[in-house]
Amino acid sequence: MNSVSLYQFSTLTVILLMLAFYGGTYLITQGIRKKNEDADAFMVSNHRVGFGMGAASMTATWIWAASFYAAATSGYIYGVSGPIHYGLWGALMILFIYPFGRRFRKLAPNAHTLGELIHARHGASSQLILALSNVLGSVISLMVNFTAAGALVSVLSPLSFQAGVIIAGIGVLLYTLQSGFRASVLTDFAQLVALMVIAIVIIPAVFFAMGGPSELVAGLENLTPQQNNFFSTDAILNQGAPFFVAVLAYAIGNQTISQRLFAVNEKHIKSTFLTATVGYGAIVIGLGMIGLMALTLGLQPLDGDMNNLIPQMVSEYLPPLFIALFFILVIGSLSSTADSDLSALSAIMMADVYGKNIAKGKANPKRMLLIGRLTMITATVIGIVFASFSLDILVMLVFVGALWGAIVFPVIASCFWDRVTNAAFTTSVLTAMVLFCIARFELVPLGGLGGLFFELLASIGGGVIIGLMVFGFLGRTAGFIAAVLAMLAMLIFATGFLRDYTVLLASLTAYGTSTLVCVVMSLSSRQKRFNFKLINERVGNYEPAVEPR
Amino acid sequence: MTTAFTFYVLIWPALTLGVLFVICRAVLQDRRQARKEKRELV
Repeated sequence: MNSVSLYQFSTLTVILLMLAFYGGTYLITQGIRKKNEDADAFMVSNHRVGFGMGAASMTATWIWAASFYAAATSGYIYGVSGPIHYGLWGALMILFIYPFGRRFRKLAPNAHTLGELIHARHGASSQLILALSNVLGSVISLMVNFTAAGALVSVLSPLSFQAGVIIAGIGVLLYTLQSGFRASVLTDFAQLVALMVIAIVIIPAVFFAMGGPSELVAGLENLTPQQNNFFSTDAILNQGAPFFVAVLAYAIGNQTISQRLFAVNEKHIKSTFLTATVGYGAIVIGLGMIGLMALTLGLQPLDGDMNNLIPQMVSEYLPPLFIALFFILVIGSLSSTADSDLSALSAIMMADVYGKNIAKGKANPKRMLLIGRLTMITATVIGIVFASFSLDILVMLVFVGALWGAIVFPVIASCFWDRVTNAAFTTSVLTAMVLFCIARFELVPLGGLGGLFFELLASIGGGVIIGLMVFGFLGRTAGFIAAVLAMLAMLIFATGFLRDYTVLLASLTAYGTSTLVCVVMSLSSRQKRFNFKLINERVGNYEPAVEPR
Repeated sequence: MTTAFTFYVLIWPALTLGVLFVICRAVLQDRRQARKEKRELV
Protein backbone atom coordinates (compact mmCIF):
# COMPACT_ATOMS: atom_id res chain seq x y z
CA MET A 1 0.00 0.00 0.00
CA ASN A 2 1.23 3.49 -0.74
CA SER A 3 0.12 6.86 0.56
CA VAL A 4 -3.57 7.40 1.08
CA SER A 5 -5.20 10.79 0.61
CA LEU A 6 -7.00 12.31 3.56
CA TYR A 7 -10.74 12.74 3.85
CA GLN A 8 -11.78 16.38 3.49
CA PHE A 9 -14.50 18.04 5.57
CA SER A 10 -16.23 21.12 4.21
CA THR A 11 -15.38 24.45 5.84
CA LEU A 12 -18.85 24.57 7.36
CA THR A 13 -18.53 21.10 8.91
CA VAL A 14 -15.20 21.92 10.56
CA ILE A 15 -16.49 25.22 11.90
CA LEU A 16 -19.60 23.48 13.26
CA LEU A 17 -17.48 20.76 14.89
CA MET A 18 -15.25 23.33 16.59
CA LEU A 19 -18.22 25.48 17.60
CA ALA A 20 -19.92 22.43 19.08
CA PHE A 21 -16.76 21.48 20.99
CA TYR A 22 -15.81 24.90 22.34
CA GLY A 23 -19.42 26.02 22.76
CA GLY A 24 -20.23 22.88 24.74
CA THR A 25 -17.12 23.29 26.88
CA TYR A 26 -17.95 26.94 27.53
CA LEU A 27 -21.48 26.00 28.63
CA ILE A 28 -20.08 23.42 31.06
CA THR A 29 -17.98 26.11 32.76
CA GLN A 30 -21.02 28.37 33.19
CA GLY A 31 -22.25 25.95 35.85
CA ILE A 32 -19.38 26.80 38.21
CA ARG A 33 -19.06 30.48 37.36
CA LYS A 34 -19.02 32.88 40.34
CA LYS A 35 -19.53 36.61 40.30
CA ASN A 36 -16.67 37.11 42.72
CA GLU A 37 -14.10 34.44 41.99
CA ASP A 38 -11.77 33.39 44.82
CA ALA A 39 -8.06 33.94 44.04
CA ASP A 40 -6.98 30.71 45.77
CA ALA A 41 -9.68 28.66 44.03
CA PHE A 42 -8.71 30.25 40.71
CA MET A 43 -5.26 28.64 41.19
CA VAL A 44 -5.89 25.32 42.96
CA SER A 45 -9.64 24.98 43.54
CA ASN A 46 -10.32 24.16 47.22
CA HIS A 47 -7.29 21.86 47.83
CA ARG A 48 -9.89 19.08 48.07
CA VAL A 49 -10.52 18.00 44.49
CA GLY A 50 -11.75 14.39 44.65
CA PHE A 51 -10.10 11.27 43.28
CA GLY A 52 -12.28 11.02 40.18
CA MET A 53 -11.97 14.65 39.08
CA GLY A 54 -8.28 14.68 39.99
CA ALA A 55 -7.43 11.51 38.05
CA ALA A 56 -9.44 12.69 35.04
CA SER A 57 -7.76 16.09 35.08
CA MET A 58 -4.25 14.67 35.47
CA THR A 59 -4.80 12.20 32.60
CA ALA A 60 -6.37 14.76 30.27
CA THR A 61 -3.67 17.33 30.98
CA TRP A 62 -0.82 14.93 30.35
CA ILE A 63 -2.31 13.75 27.05
CA TRP A 64 -1.69 16.35 24.38
CA ALA A 65 -2.13 16.13 20.64
CA ALA A 66 1.53 15.25 20.14
CA SER A 67 1.04 12.16 22.35
CA PHE A 68 -0.99 10.38 19.64
CA TYR A 69 1.15 11.49 16.74
CA ALA A 70 4.43 10.66 18.49
CA ALA A 71 3.22 7.27 19.76
CA ALA A 72 2.03 6.32 16.26
CA THR A 73 5.31 7.58 14.79
CA SER A 74 7.22 5.49 17.32
CA GLY A 75 5.17 2.42 16.34
CA TYR A 76 5.80 3.13 12.67
CA ILE A 77 9.55 3.62 13.05
CA TYR A 78 10.47 1.12 15.76
CA GLY A 79 7.80 -1.52 15.12
CA VAL A 80 6.38 -3.83 17.77
CA SER A 81 7.89 -2.14 20.84
CA GLY A 82 7.62 1.43 19.51
CA PRO A 83 4.29 2.46 21.10
CA ILE A 84 5.45 1.09 24.48
CA HIS A 85 8.67 3.12 24.34
CA TYR A 86 6.64 6.29 23.92
CA GLY A 87 3.61 5.69 26.14
CA LEU A 88 5.18 3.79 29.01
CA TRP A 89 7.80 6.39 29.86
CA GLY A 90 5.31 9.21 29.51
CA ALA A 91 3.04 7.36 31.93
CA LEU A 92 5.89 6.80 34.38
CA MET A 93 6.44 10.55 34.53
CA ILE A 94 3.10 10.74 36.35
CA LEU A 95 3.86 7.74 38.54
CA PHE A 96 7.33 8.75 39.71
CA ILE A 97 6.33 12.22 40.82
CA TYR A 98 3.65 11.23 43.33
CA PRO A 99 5.95 10.13 46.20
CA PHE A 100 7.66 13.52 45.95
CA GLY A 101 4.30 15.21 45.52
CA ARG A 102 3.13 13.83 48.85
CA ARG A 103 6.19 15.38 50.47
CA PHE A 104 5.58 18.73 48.76
CA ARG A 105 2.00 18.66 49.99
CA LYS A 106 3.02 17.72 53.53
CA LEU A 107 5.48 20.61 53.68
CA ALA A 108 3.16 23.19 52.14
CA PRO A 109 -0.49 22.06 52.28
CA ASN A 110 -1.77 25.48 51.20
CA ALA A 111 0.67 26.13 48.36
CA HIS A 112 -0.46 26.97 44.84
CA THR A 113 2.85 26.43 43.02
CA LEU A 114 6.05 24.51 43.68
CA GLY A 115 7.81 27.87 43.37
CA GLU A 116 6.07 29.11 46.53
CA LEU A 117 7.45 26.15 48.44
CA ILE A 118 10.96 26.82 47.13
CA HIS A 119 10.56 30.52 47.97
CA ALA A 120 9.71 29.60 51.56
CA ARG A 121 12.65 27.20 51.67
CA HIS A 122 15.33 29.32 49.97
CA GLY A 123 14.14 32.76 48.83
CA ALA A 124 13.59 34.56 45.57
CA SER A 125 16.50 33.49 43.35
CA SER A 126 15.83 29.73 43.57
CA GLN A 127 12.09 30.30 43.26
CA LEU A 128 12.44 32.45 40.15
CA ILE A 129 14.68 29.86 38.45
CA LEU A 130 11.96 27.28 38.99
CA ALA A 131 9.22 29.71 37.90
CA LEU A 132 11.15 30.59 34.74
CA SER A 133 11.51 26.94 33.79
CA ASN A 134 7.77 26.43 34.39
CA VAL A 135 6.83 29.48 32.30
CA LEU A 136 9.00 28.46 29.35
CA GLY A 137 7.63 24.92 29.49
CA SER A 138 4.02 26.04 29.48
CA VAL A 139 4.51 28.59 26.69
CA ILE A 140 6.14 25.92 24.51
CA SER A 141 3.33 23.50 25.31
CA LEU A 142 0.71 26.12 24.40
CA MET A 143 2.41 26.82 21.12
CA VAL A 144 2.71 23.13 20.24
CA ASN A 145 -0.95 22.50 21.01
CA PHE A 146 -2.17 25.48 18.96
CA THR A 147 0.11 24.33 16.13
CA ALA A 148 -1.49 20.88 16.29
CA ALA A 149 -4.95 22.48 15.97
CA GLY A 150 -3.82 24.46 12.92
CA ALA A 151 -2.27 21.40 11.30
CA LEU A 152 -5.35 19.26 11.91
CA VAL A 153 -7.76 21.84 10.49
CA SER A 154 -5.57 22.48 7.45
CA VAL A 155 -5.15 18.79 6.50
CA LEU A 156 -8.80 17.83 7.00
CA SER A 157 -10.53 20.90 5.55
CA PRO A 158 -10.07 23.85 3.17
CA LEU A 159 -9.59 26.15 6.20
CA SER A 160 -6.12 27.59 6.67
CA PHE A 161 -3.56 26.61 9.32
CA GLN A 162 -3.82 30.06 10.93
CA ALA A 163 -7.62 29.79 11.15
CA GLY A 164 -7.27 26.54 13.12
CA VAL A 165 -4.69 28.11 15.47
CA ILE A 166 -6.84 31.16 16.15
CA ILE A 167 -10.09 29.23 16.71
CA ALA A 168 -8.37 26.86 19.16
CA GLY A 169 -6.62 29.71 20.98
CA ILE A 170 -9.75 31.81 21.42
CA GLY A 171 -11.89 28.75 22.25
CA VAL A 172 -9.59 27.62 25.06
CA LEU A 173 -9.18 31.14 26.45
CA LEU A 174 -12.93 31.79 26.53
CA TYR A 175 -13.81 28.85 28.74
CA THR A 176 -10.76 29.17 31.04
CA LEU A 177 -10.68 32.93 31.62
CA GLN A 178 -13.48 33.28 34.15
CA SER A 179 -12.82 30.44 36.59
CA GLY A 180 -9.18 29.48 35.86
CA PHE A 181 -8.07 26.16 37.31
CA ARG A 182 -11.62 25.21 38.38
CA ALA A 183 -12.77 25.48 34.76
CA SER A 184 -9.72 23.54 33.62
CA VAL A 185 -10.41 20.62 36.00
CA LEU A 186 -14.14 20.47 35.27
CA THR A 187 -13.71 20.53 31.50
CA ASP A 188 -10.83 18.05 31.72
CA PHE A 189 -13.30 15.46 32.98
CA ALA A 190 -15.72 16.02 30.10
CA GLN A 191 -12.89 16.11 27.56
CA LEU A 192 -11.32 12.94 28.96
CA VAL A 193 -14.58 11.00 28.82
CA ALA A 194 -14.98 11.97 25.15
CA LEU A 195 -11.34 11.18 24.46
CA MET A 196 -11.51 7.75 26.11
CA VAL A 197 -14.77 6.73 24.44
CA ILE A 198 -13.36 7.69 21.04
CA ALA A 199 -10.08 5.82 21.68
CA ILE A 200 -12.01 2.72 22.83
CA VAL A 201 -13.99 2.76 19.57
CA ILE A 202 -11.33 3.85 17.06
CA ILE A 203 -8.49 1.43 17.95
CA PRO A 204 -10.44 -1.83 17.44
CA ALA A 205 -12.35 -0.29 14.52
CA VAL A 206 -9.16 0.43 12.57
CA PHE A 207 -7.65 -2.91 13.63
CA PHE A 208 -10.52 -5.02 12.30
CA ALA A 209 -11.17 -2.80 9.26
CA MET A 210 -7.58 -3.22 8.08
CA GLY A 211 -7.98 -6.99 8.11
CA GLY A 212 -7.64 -7.90 11.77
CA PRO A 213 -5.06 -10.07 13.51
CA SER A 214 -4.23 -12.24 10.50
CA GLU A 215 -3.39 -9.23 8.33
CA LEU A 216 -1.26 -7.70 11.10
CA VAL A 217 0.69 -10.92 11.66
CA ALA A 218 1.15 -11.43 7.91
CA GLY A 219 2.51 -7.88 7.65
CA LEU A 220 5.13 -8.53 10.31
CA GLU A 221 7.16 -10.30 7.63
CA ASN A 222 7.81 -6.92 6.03
CA LEU A 223 9.45 -5.57 9.19
CA THR A 224 13.19 -5.44 9.87
CA PRO A 225 14.55 -7.75 12.60
CA GLN A 226 14.83 -4.74 14.95
CA GLN A 227 11.23 -3.69 14.26
CA ASN A 228 10.09 -7.27 14.89
CA ASN A 229 11.95 -7.50 18.18
CA PHE A 230 10.01 -6.56 21.32
CA PHE A 231 13.35 -5.82 23.02
CA SER A 232 14.74 -3.78 20.15
CA THR A 233 17.93 -1.92 21.11
CA ASP A 234 17.17 0.66 18.41
CA ALA A 235 13.88 1.49 20.11
CA ILE A 236 15.42 1.49 23.59
CA LEU A 237 18.41 3.70 22.74
CA ASN A 238 16.68 6.15 20.41
CA GLN A 239 13.20 6.38 21.90
CA GLY A 240 13.10 4.83 25.36
CA ALA A 241 16.37 6.05 26.94
CA PRO A 242 16.00 9.79 26.19
CA PHE A 243 12.45 9.63 27.56
CA PHE A 244 13.56 7.72 30.64
CA VAL A 245 16.15 10.42 31.37
CA ALA A 246 13.38 13.02 31.20
CA VAL A 247 10.91 11.19 33.46
CA LEU A 248 11.60 13.22 36.62
CA ALA A 249 12.58 16.42 34.83
CA TYR A 250 9.25 16.74 33.00
CA ALA A 251 7.29 16.18 36.18
CA ILE A 252 9.30 18.60 38.34
CA GLY A 253 9.53 21.25 35.63
CA ASN A 254 5.82 21.25 34.90
CA GLN A 255 3.52 23.49 36.94
CA THR A 256 0.46 21.72 35.50
CA ILE A 257 1.46 18.67 37.55
CA SER A 258 2.36 20.50 40.78
CA GLN A 259 -0.86 22.51 40.52
CA ARG A 260 -2.82 19.25 40.62
CA LEU A 261 -0.63 17.91 43.43
CA PHE A 262 -1.67 20.92 45.51
CA ALA A 263 -5.31 20.76 44.40
CA VAL A 264 -6.17 17.11 44.94
CA ASN A 265 -7.42 15.93 48.33
CA GLU A 266 -4.24 14.92 50.17
CA LYS A 267 -5.65 11.46 50.96
CA HIS A 268 -6.14 10.72 47.27
CA ILE A 269 -2.80 11.78 45.77
CA LYS A 270 -1.58 8.19 45.38
CA SER A 271 -4.78 6.75 43.84
CA THR A 272 -5.17 9.81 41.61
CA PHE A 273 -1.70 9.58 40.15
CA LEU A 274 -1.76 5.76 39.84
CA THR A 275 -5.04 5.89 37.91
CA ALA A 276 -3.73 8.68 35.68
CA THR A 277 -0.61 6.60 34.97
CA VAL A 278 -2.68 3.64 33.75
CA GLY A 279 -5.12 5.87 31.88
CA TYR A 280 -2.43 7.80 30.06
CA GLY A 281 -0.47 4.64 29.18
CA ALA A 282 -3.52 2.77 27.88
CA ILE A 283 -4.80 5.59 25.64
CA VAL A 284 -1.45 6.64 24.21
CA ILE A 285 0.00 3.15 23.68
CA GLY A 286 -3.32 2.05 22.18
CA LEU A 287 -3.37 4.88 19.63
CA GLY A 288 0.34 4.21 18.97
CA MET A 289 -0.71 0.74 17.77
CA ILE A 290 -2.25 2.43 14.73
CA GLY A 291 1.30 3.39 13.71
CA LEU A 292 2.35 -0.26 14.01
CA MET A 293 -0.66 -1.29 11.90
CA ALA A 294 0.36 1.27 9.25
CA LEU A 295 3.88 -0.16 9.23
CA THR A 296 2.71 -3.75 8.72
CA LEU A 297 0.51 -2.60 5.83
CA GLY A 298 3.41 -0.76 4.19
CA LEU A 299 1.57 2.58 4.27
CA GLN A 300 3.65 5.62 3.38
CA PRO A 301 2.94 8.82 5.34
CA LEU A 302 1.40 11.52 3.16
CA ASP A 303 3.99 14.15 2.16
CA GLY A 304 6.47 12.26 4.34
CA ASP A 305 4.79 13.74 7.42
CA MET A 306 4.46 11.17 10.21
CA ASN A 307 1.68 13.24 11.79
CA ASN A 308 -0.52 12.13 8.90
CA LEU A 309 -0.29 8.44 9.85
CA ILE A 310 -3.37 8.22 12.11
CA PRO A 311 -5.58 10.49 9.92
CA GLN A 312 -4.55 8.43 6.88
CA MET A 313 -5.43 5.12 8.55
CA VAL A 314 -8.76 6.48 9.77
CA SER A 315 -9.52 8.01 6.33
CA GLU A 316 -8.67 4.77 4.55
CA TYR A 317 -10.54 2.28 6.68
CA LEU A 318 -13.34 4.07 8.49
CA PRO A 319 -16.42 6.08 7.46
CA PRO A 320 -16.47 9.92 7.81
CA LEU A 321 -18.19 9.73 11.21
CA PHE A 322 -15.01 8.22 12.67
CA ILE A 323 -12.92 10.96 11.10
CA ALA A 324 -15.13 13.49 12.87
CA LEU A 325 -14.58 11.53 16.11
CA PHE A 326 -10.82 11.57 15.49
CA PHE A 327 -11.03 15.32 14.93
CA ILE A 328 -12.75 15.76 18.31
CA LEU A 329 -10.20 13.41 19.91
CA VAL A 330 -7.31 15.65 18.85
CA ILE A 331 -9.10 18.93 19.61
CA GLY A 332 -10.09 17.58 23.04
CA SER A 333 -6.60 16.43 23.91
CA LEU A 334 -4.89 19.66 22.84
CA SER A 335 -7.51 21.86 24.52
CA SER A 336 -7.30 20.03 27.86
CA THR A 337 -3.54 20.55 27.91
CA ALA A 338 -3.74 24.15 26.69
CA ASP A 339 -6.28 25.15 29.37
CA SER A 340 -4.00 23.59 32.00
CA ASP A 341 -1.05 25.56 30.65
CA LEU A 342 -3.07 28.78 30.86
CA SER A 343 -4.03 27.96 34.45
CA ALA A 344 -0.42 27.07 35.28
CA LEU A 345 0.94 30.29 33.80
CA SER A 346 -1.65 32.42 35.59
CA ALA A 347 -0.85 30.73 38.94
CA ILE A 348 2.88 31.36 38.46
CA MET A 349 2.32 35.05 37.71
CA MET A 350 -0.22 35.42 40.52
CA ALA A 351 1.65 33.57 43.27
CA ASP A 352 5.33 33.39 42.32
CA VAL A 353 5.75 36.77 40.68
CA TYR A 354 3.10 39.04 42.20
CA GLY A 355 2.34 37.32 45.51
CA LYS A 356 5.88 36.53 46.60
CA ASN A 357 8.05 39.09 44.84
CA ILE A 358 5.96 42.20 44.21
CA ALA A 359 3.31 42.29 46.95
CA LYS A 360 5.64 40.47 49.38
CA GLY A 361 3.02 39.04 51.70
CA LYS A 362 0.48 41.86 51.20
CA ALA A 363 -1.17 40.56 48.08
CA ASN A 364 -4.55 41.94 47.05
CA PRO A 365 -6.70 38.96 45.90
CA LYS A 366 -8.65 41.07 43.40
CA ARG A 367 -5.45 42.33 41.83
CA MET A 368 -4.16 38.76 41.77
CA LEU A 369 -7.19 37.65 39.78
CA LEU A 370 -6.71 40.50 37.34
CA ILE A 371 -3.04 39.50 36.91
CA GLY A 372 -4.07 35.87 36.40
CA ARG A 373 -6.57 36.73 33.68
CA LEU A 374 -4.24 39.18 31.95
CA THR A 375 -1.59 36.44 31.96
CA MET A 376 -4.00 34.06 30.27
CA ILE A 377 -4.81 36.60 27.55
CA THR A 378 -1.12 37.45 26.99
CA ALA A 379 -0.08 33.78 26.94
CA THR A 380 -2.81 32.96 24.42
CA VAL A 381 -1.69 35.79 22.14
CA ILE A 382 1.95 34.65 22.40
CA GLY A 383 0.94 31.04 21.74
CA ILE A 384 -1.14 32.02 18.69
CA VAL A 385 1.60 34.29 17.27
CA PHE A 386 4.37 31.71 17.78
CA ALA A 387 2.20 28.94 16.32
CA SER A 388 0.88 31.01 13.38
CA PHE A 389 4.34 32.00 12.23
CA SER A 390 5.69 28.49 12.83
CA LEU A 391 8.61 30.03 14.76
CA ASP A 392 11.58 27.77 15.34
CA ILE A 393 11.58 26.89 19.03
CA LEU A 394 14.26 24.21 18.89
CA VAL A 395 16.83 26.26 20.83
CA MET A 396 14.23 27.17 23.44
CA LEU A 397 13.28 23.50 23.74
CA VAL A 398 16.91 22.51 24.24
CA PHE A 399 17.41 25.05 27.04
CA VAL A 400 14.15 24.22 28.78
CA GLY A 401 15.03 20.52 28.74
CA ALA A 402 18.42 21.32 30.25
CA LEU A 403 16.94 23.62 32.87
CA TRP A 404 14.43 20.98 33.90
CA GLY A 405 17.19 18.38 34.21
CA ALA A 406 19.36 20.79 36.20
CA ILE A 407 16.68 21.63 38.78
CA VAL A 408 15.53 18.08 39.56
CA PHE A 409 18.07 17.26 42.29
CA PRO A 410 18.18 20.72 43.92
CA VAL A 411 14.36 20.88 44.13
CA ILE A 412 13.95 17.37 45.54
CA ALA A 413 16.93 17.65 47.90
CA SER A 414 15.64 20.99 49.20
CA CYS A 415 12.46 19.27 50.35
CA PHE A 416 14.16 16.40 52.16
CA TRP A 417 17.60 17.61 53.25
CA ASP A 418 17.87 20.46 55.74
CA ARG A 419 21.43 21.42 54.71
CA VAL A 420 20.72 22.55 51.13
CA THR A 421 21.26 26.32 50.88
CA ASN A 422 19.93 28.96 48.50
CA ALA A 423 23.46 29.55 47.18
CA ALA A 424 23.89 25.81 46.58
CA PHE A 425 20.55 25.64 44.73
CA THR A 426 21.23 28.63 42.48
CA THR A 427 24.91 27.95 41.80
CA SER A 428 24.31 24.28 41.05
CA VAL A 429 21.60 25.05 38.48
CA LEU A 430 23.64 27.78 36.76
CA THR A 431 26.82 25.64 36.67
CA ALA A 432 24.83 22.72 35.28
CA MET A 433 23.42 24.95 32.53
CA VAL A 434 26.90 26.14 31.53
CA LEU A 435 28.34 22.61 31.39
CA PHE A 436 25.22 21.40 29.57
CA CYS A 437 25.80 24.01 26.84
CA ILE A 438 29.47 23.07 26.52
CA ALA A 439 28.58 19.40 26.03
CA ARG A 440 25.44 19.91 23.94
CA PHE A 441 27.04 22.31 21.46
CA GLU A 442 30.48 20.60 21.67
CA LEU A 443 32.18 23.86 22.64
CA VAL A 444 35.20 21.77 23.68
CA PRO A 445 36.40 18.68 21.82
CA LEU A 446 34.65 15.63 23.24
CA GLY A 447 37.47 13.26 22.40
CA GLY A 448 40.12 12.36 24.97
CA LEU A 449 40.03 13.94 28.43
CA GLY A 450 37.22 16.38 27.57
CA GLY A 451 34.91 13.50 26.66
CA LEU A 452 35.96 11.54 29.72
CA PHE A 453 35.21 14.52 32.00
CA PHE A 454 31.68 14.82 30.68
CA GLU A 455 31.13 11.06 30.76
CA LEU A 456 32.07 11.07 34.45
CA LEU A 457 29.55 13.83 35.14
CA ALA A 458 26.95 12.03 33.02
CA SER A 459 27.56 8.83 34.98
CA ILE A 460 26.83 10.71 38.18
CA GLY A 461 23.71 12.05 36.45
CA GLY A 462 22.59 8.53 35.53
CA GLY A 463 23.11 7.44 39.13
CA VAL A 464 21.11 10.43 40.38
CA ILE A 465 18.12 9.63 38.15
CA ILE A 466 17.94 5.98 39.21
CA GLY A 467 18.71 6.85 42.82
CA LEU A 468 15.93 9.45 43.05
CA MET A 469 13.38 7.12 41.46
CA VAL A 470 14.19 4.34 43.93
CA PHE A 471 14.38 6.83 46.82
CA GLY A 472 10.86 8.04 46.07
CA PHE A 473 9.37 4.58 46.58
CA LEU A 474 11.80 2.70 48.82
CA GLY A 475 13.56 5.32 50.92
CA ARG A 476 17.01 6.76 51.46
CA THR A 477 19.18 3.62 51.84
CA ALA A 478 17.73 1.81 48.83
CA GLY A 479 17.97 5.01 46.80
CA PHE A 480 21.60 5.54 47.72
CA ILE A 481 22.54 1.93 46.88
CA ALA A 482 20.67 2.13 43.56
CA ALA A 483 22.41 5.43 42.72
CA VAL A 484 25.87 4.00 43.41
CA LEU A 485 25.17 0.83 41.43
CA ALA A 486 23.76 2.80 38.49
CA MET A 487 26.71 5.18 38.55
CA LEU A 488 29.20 2.29 38.57
CA ALA A 489 27.35 0.59 35.71
CA MET A 490 27.45 3.86 33.76
CA LEU A 491 31.18 4.27 34.44
CA ILE A 492 31.86 0.78 33.15
CA PHE A 493 29.57 0.76 30.13
CA ALA A 494 29.27 4.42 29.12
CA THR A 495 32.87 5.57 29.27
CA GLY A 496 34.24 6.04 25.78
CA PHE A 497 30.77 5.47 24.33
CA LEU A 498 28.39 8.13 25.60
CA ARG A 499 30.36 10.97 23.98
CA ASP A 500 28.93 9.83 20.62
CA TYR A 501 25.39 10.62 21.87
CA THR A 502 25.75 14.31 22.71
CA VAL A 503 22.07 14.95 23.48
CA LEU A 504 21.99 12.17 26.07
CA LEU A 505 25.48 13.09 27.35
CA ALA A 506 24.51 16.74 27.83
CA SER A 507 21.21 15.92 29.56
CA LEU A 508 22.89 13.55 31.99
CA THR A 509 25.67 16.12 32.54
CA ALA A 510 23.02 18.64 33.68
CA TYR A 511 21.73 16.18 36.30
CA GLY A 512 25.21 15.14 37.43
CA THR A 513 26.66 18.66 37.67
CA SER A 514 23.77 20.18 39.60
CA THR A 515 23.83 17.28 42.05
CA LEU A 516 27.58 17.42 42.57
CA VAL A 517 27.71 21.20 43.07
CA CYS A 518 24.59 21.23 45.26
CA VAL A 519 25.92 18.45 47.53
CA VAL A 520 29.46 19.87 47.85
CA MET A 521 28.25 23.43 48.54
CA SER A 522 25.61 22.28 51.02
CA LEU A 523 28.06 20.07 52.92
CA SER A 524 30.68 22.81 53.10
CA SER A 525 28.19 25.49 54.21
CA ARG A 526 28.19 26.62 57.85
CA GLN A 527 24.61 27.89 57.54
CA LYS A 528 22.16 26.79 60.25
CA ARG A 529 20.09 23.72 59.33
CA PHE A 530 16.66 24.57 57.95
CA ASN A 531 13.52 23.91 59.96
CA PHE A 532 11.00 22.44 57.52
CA LYS A 533 8.06 23.50 59.71
CA LEU A 534 8.73 27.08 58.60
CA ILE A 535 7.49 26.30 55.08
CA ASN A 536 3.91 25.74 56.22
CA GLU A 537 4.06 28.97 58.21
CA ARG A 538 5.34 30.90 55.22
CA VAL A 539 3.00 29.54 52.52
CA GLY A 540 -0.67 30.23 52.98
CA ASN A 541 -3.85 31.30 51.22
CA TYR A 542 -4.29 34.78 49.79
CA GLU A 543 -8.00 35.23 50.42
CA PRO A 544 -8.70 36.55 53.94
CA ALA A 545 -11.70 34.32 54.67
CA VAL A 546 -10.45 30.77 54.61
CA GLU A 547 -12.71 27.82 55.17
CA PRO A 548 -11.29 25.18 57.54
CA ARG A 549 -9.35 22.46 55.71
CA MET B 1 1.12 -15.61 17.43
CA THR B 2 -2.18 -14.25 16.11
CA THR B 3 -3.81 -14.49 19.52
CA ALA B 4 -0.83 -12.83 21.17
CA PHE B 5 -0.92 -9.88 18.75
CA THR B 6 -4.69 -9.54 19.05
CA PHE B 7 -4.23 -9.32 22.82
CA TYR B 8 -1.30 -6.89 22.41
CA VAL B 9 -3.39 -4.49 20.31
CA LEU B 10 -6.73 -4.79 22.08
CA ILE B 11 -5.56 -4.79 25.70
CA TRP B 12 -5.08 -1.00 25.54
CA PRO B 13 -8.66 -0.04 24.64
CA ALA B 14 -9.82 -2.62 27.21
CA LEU B 15 -7.64 -0.97 29.88
CA THR B 16 -8.94 2.43 28.79
CA LEU B 17 -12.50 1.18 29.29
CA GLY B 18 -11.58 -0.01 32.78
CA VAL B 19 -10.04 3.34 33.73
CA LEU B 20 -13.03 5.19 32.26
CA PHE B 21 -15.35 3.15 34.47
CA VAL B 22 -13.21 3.81 37.59
CA ILE B 23 -13.03 7.55 36.91
CA CYS B 24 -16.75 7.97 36.16
CA ARG B 25 -17.73 6.05 39.30
CA ALA B 26 -15.31 8.12 41.37
CA VAL B 27 -16.64 11.40 39.97
CA LEU B 28 -20.17 10.40 40.94
CA GLN B 29 -18.90 9.68 44.46
CA ASP B 30 -17.05 13.03 44.48
CA ARG B 31 -20.28 14.74 43.52
CA ARG B 32 -22.28 13.01 46.25
CA GLN B 33 -19.62 13.85 48.82
CA ALA B 34 -19.50 17.50 47.74
CA ARG B 35 -23.29 17.79 48.02
CA LYS B 36 -23.24 16.16 51.45
CA GLU B 37 -20.65 18.67 52.62
CA LYS B 38 -22.49 21.53 50.88
CA ARG B 39 -19.48 22.57 48.86
CA GLU B 40 -18.70 22.74 45.17
CA LEU B 41 -17.24 19.82 43.20
CA VAL B 42 -14.26 21.92 42.09
